[in-house]
Amino acid sequence: MEPRSDTVQEDFNYDPDRNYDEVIMAQQRIIEKEIAESQPLISNLLTFDEIVEEYSDEDSVYRHKIEDLKGRYKNMRKTRGDGNCFFRAFGFSFLEKLLQDADGYKSFVDVVHKSKDMLISLGFPQFTLEDFYDTFVDIVKQVECPGTVEKLLETFNDQGLSDYFVVYLRLLVSGHLQANEESYIHFIDGERTVRQFCSQEVEPMGRESDHIHIVALTKALQVPICVEYMDREGLACNAFNFNPSDATDEADPKPTVTLLYRPGHYDILYPL
Amino acid sequence: MAGSALKRLMAEYKQLTLNPPEGIIAGPVNEENFFEWEALIMGPQDTCFEGGVFPAHLTFPPDYPLSPPKMKFTCEIFHPNIYADGRVCISILHAPGDDPMGYETSAERWSPVQSVEKILLSVVSMLAEPNDESAANVDAAKTWRDDRKGFEEIAKVTVRKSLGL
Repeated sequence: MEPRSDTVQEDFNYDPDRNYDEVIMAQQRIIEKEIAESQPLISNLLTFDEIVEEYSDEDSVYRHKIEDLKGRYKNMRKTRGDGNCFFRAFGFSFLEKLLQDADGYKSFVDVVHKSKDMLISLGFPQFTLEDFYDTFVDIVKQVECPGTVEKLLETFNDQGLSDYFVVYLRLLVSGHLQANEESYIHFIDGERTVRQFCSQEVEPMGRESDHIHIVALTKALQVPICVEYMDREGLACNAFNFNPSDATDEADPKPTVTLLYRPGHYDILYPL
Repeated sequence: MAGSALKRLMAEYKQLTLNPPEGIIAGPVNEENFFEWEALIMGPQDTCFEGGVFPAHLTFPPDYPLSPPKMKFTCEIFHPNIYADGRVCISILHAPGDDPMGYETSAERWSPVQSVEKILLSVVSMLAEPNDESAANVDAAKTWRDDRKGFEEIAKVTVRKSLGL
């Protein structure tokens, strides 16, 4: 192809009165909107045959790993890639599990009720906390009505409700990290305090979750999580268990929530 | 979720009325529309903006507080972190990732537990301590850096103008 002479680069004349930063941010909003229109926040149940189509025939590593998953899991749900996928995937999957676990539900409700005062004691202003807490509690209560998977799915695909639920999970992680500062300070990069890390990497919506967020959520809610890591290394997915207890001599408890990690993104897995 | 935004804005208005921070007055332009606020900010003591009263406008998005508001001074003000048209450009008005100015990693960012009060307090600090590393008004940043006296002169004129003198 002949190189075109009227390339963008030549046309570009810096206009000092134009705000380029805002143009870039506006473009980001458009991309986010496109993602929002094409992906539900939480999808219906999918089979691995549907997932495998995302990869080309030549992509033998990923195709292999999907075969590996098929041996251990029956289904998955995809979540929207908006930076909140870990929290949203966890939230939906956990409440879905509680539909079948009345005791687990009761002890979770206790943890939730205590959490608000804990967060206030850490210095979160009550008037900024209240709406998120109230929405969170309302959604958790949908489990016992008796709740249905369909109703939960509808709630988690309602952007407003779903986002408020995610905000409160983020606050629970922030609260746990701050209350146990000495255990986490050495895992924080960039010479930041735990408080700074929380206000920049945990509390804002859309900030992606790292190992430290998962560890903190597991411990804050006392819920074991298993993450299947699917990357380009090796032939099988690597399962990693996050446990609420620090005791190393105990066998790993059965995970309540299992997530699939592909670089930068979390989805929900359903064991066979 | 405009209903949640409204509820939150009403709670914040109540909070600001009951416990007003020093040097700040803020509230909805009219009680029919809680998504447009005006604020009056007093120039901080012992700075070149001391004595001034600077009016500003805040516009809240329908998904507030998930997203931050926008803030714009409606008076003339020459400052490194305020665009020539009055728009305020400080880190707390941006979620992490929205990085128009390459803020330092330690800078305070928007999150749903921030508030109007926190924003306005940050703006007061910004008036007292301009950040010329991430300038919205390059002229103002240069003057602040290279000609502090000149900057203070301009600020004093702004203060008088803000008082209608």
